[in-house]
Amino acid sequence: MAVTDTTETTARKPRAPWLTLRRREAIEGWLFVSPTLIGFLIFFLGPLIAVVFYSLTEWNLLSQKSTYVGLANYTDALRDNPDFWHVIRNSVIFAAGLVPLNMALALGLAVALCRPGKGVVFFRTVFFAPVITSAVAWAIVWKFLLQGEAGAVNQMLAGIGIDGPNWLREPNWAMFAVIVTRVIKMVGLNMILYIAALQAVPRDYEEAARLEGANSWQIFRMVTWPLLAPTTLIIMVITTIGSFKVFDHIYLMTGGGPENGTLVLAYYIYEQAFEFFNIGYAAALAIIMFVIVLALTVVQLLLRQKGSS
Amino acid sequence: MSSLTLRNLTKSFGKTDVIRGVSLDVEEGEFVVFVGPSGCGKSTLLRMIAGLEDVSGGDLMIGGQRMNDVQAAKRGVAMVFQSYALYPHLTVRQNMGFGLKVRKVPAADIARQVDEAAAVLKLDALLDRYPRELSGGQRQRVAIGRAIVASPEVFLFDEPLSNLDAELRVHMRAEIAALHRRLGNTMVYVTHDQIEAMTLADRIVVLRDGRVEQVGTPRELYESPANTFVAQFIGSPKMNLVDGGAVADRLSALGRPVPEGALVGLRPEHLQLVPADQAILGGRLVTSEYTGADTLLHVELADGEVLLMVHQGSDAPEPGADLSIGIDPALAHIFEQDVAAKNAA
Repeated sequence: MAVTDTTETTARKPRAPWLTLRRREAIEGWLFVSPTLIGFLIFFLGPLIAVVFYSLTEWNLLSQKSTYVGLANYTDALRDNPDFWHVIRNSVIFAAGLVPLNMALALGLAVALCRPGKGVVFFRTVFFAPVITSAVAWAIVWKFLLQGEAGAVNQMLAGIGIDGPNWLREPNWAMFAVIVTRVIKMVGLNMILYIAALQAVPRDYEEAARLEGANSWQIFRMVTWPLLAPTTLIIMVITTIGSFKVFDHIYLMTGGGPENGTLVLAYYIYEQAFEFFNIGYAAALAIIMFVIVLALTVVQLLLRQKGSS
Repeated sequence: MSSLTLRNLTKSFGKTDVIRGVSLDVEEGEFVVFVGPSGCGKSTLLRMIAGLEDVSGGDLMIGGQRMNDVQAAKRGVAMVFQSYALYPHLTVRQNMGFGLKVRKVPAADIARQVDEAAAVLKLDALLDRYPRELSGGQRQRVAIGRAIVASPEVFLFDEPLSNLDAELRVHMRAEIAALHRRLGNTMVYVTHDQIEAMTLADRIVVLRDGRVEQVGTPRELYESPANTFVAQFIGSPKMNLVDGGAVADRLSALGRPVPEGALVGLRPEHLQLVPADQAILGGRLVTSEYTGADTLLHVELADGEVLLMVHQGSDAPEPGADLSIGIDPALAHIFEQDVAAKNAA
């Protein structure tokens, strides 16, 4: 009797339910990420694919006519249209001027303001405040300050005997003016990143170096600066990418002028798309900008990997 | 080599007094250990000697010269930090040669001195590695190597073994002792571990609340502690303190009179199980902790206090047993001044 019971128990072994713990967790996981995933597909991947498609067409927004033209928009930009290379040159000049100036100033401020002391919090706030200030307000104020003879900047320069230029109206000076005003607006962000990095450097390193006879400059150059390398790399890349994507500042300060002297890539794309309605061409330019930013990001990742190994 | 003298040294951070008048003479070539509980000021005192903290008052002399206002780098001291403070972006060789490089010593001389120090510490094979590629013990040796390359008059160690596991700590302790024998420099060593202090020191300085409680050889501190704080800090498990009245009659009968109001210190390792007629104390065993070589017995006395005793051998009594406890009267410590301190504690 007992033997029969055992056999029956074995035969009635319960079947595993369909909703196993593993499946349940997988479903829950997908449900949790689905809002972001759907948003990503609709608002990011969809437009990206659409831009790639438009970049292969000649599409006039006014006539609503769209013609497939293959890579013509790309060859137009890269080979036939001299404006494109002028714009790229401007973007490179903007980045080459802004990135070192921004980083040097951010590092200097961070070194001065990284340790607790009187007024440190006040000055950190002062230098960070422009970062969260409206770009429109910032641009309007600086346009007033940088006016020709009546501008406050030129008034001050006149006070020390310097005849200042008409900053935003002279091609050579306009780029300089937009770089400097952009640096002043954004330097606080990099300053905060450098302050965090400096505060993460253990005090023992500085003390050990001091005991071994290093002076302040040697400690900074031989100990602190190398330890800031990962932060410097990240700051350099995000500032470079940001400078290639700059639009609002140019739009508000100079509108790309004078004589296209500050016409940078993002503004050029806007101009082509919404002022000249060359949607296909603008889409091709947007893809080129995407590739440039992607390339910079890949370089950043490679450098970080190299640094961490 | 240099002597080190502290004369009524004080240090305050704002209104907080951290070091309250420390005087000490360290002879040339001596190995002195500062020991004390957390917050007693031992690390601050070491950092004052190094020049990393300024001196609020008193005199600090190294090799007979007043050093209060001399820069850290010019005091002739080298320090091994608790964190090792090895520069992570430099190789072992570059770490060890850093001090010489900033002093503009020719590269060939740096290489020679680093090689010599590396040979002493058996670091030859690790010279091209980065700190992250080393084990804790190796990092410790590099930190010591960096100090050796600096050729200091005085070596300072700030809890250098506290980040190592127990086994490695024992090993590195022996290495530091051997290094001292070989180099013969004056060494000042900070630790909160009394075993480290006992095994390494020529003399131990016991600190509490920024003051020196006692200075002496490890044996002096163990055998003749100046007060109950030192008595309980030195020795493991810590010394039992009982009211003199509880043992006065028996100890007096055995030739150790106990003044009224005094405390009597009994080291757990000196207590023995004895026949009732030889006992100075009796109690009930509440817990026994078997540790292999011996067993730690927790004995509850009549007044409710718990006495620790070390029982050697495998015949430890079972919990609940009534025990009669005796001691060689010469090994009992009598403290007349510390009754108030014990009551306050």
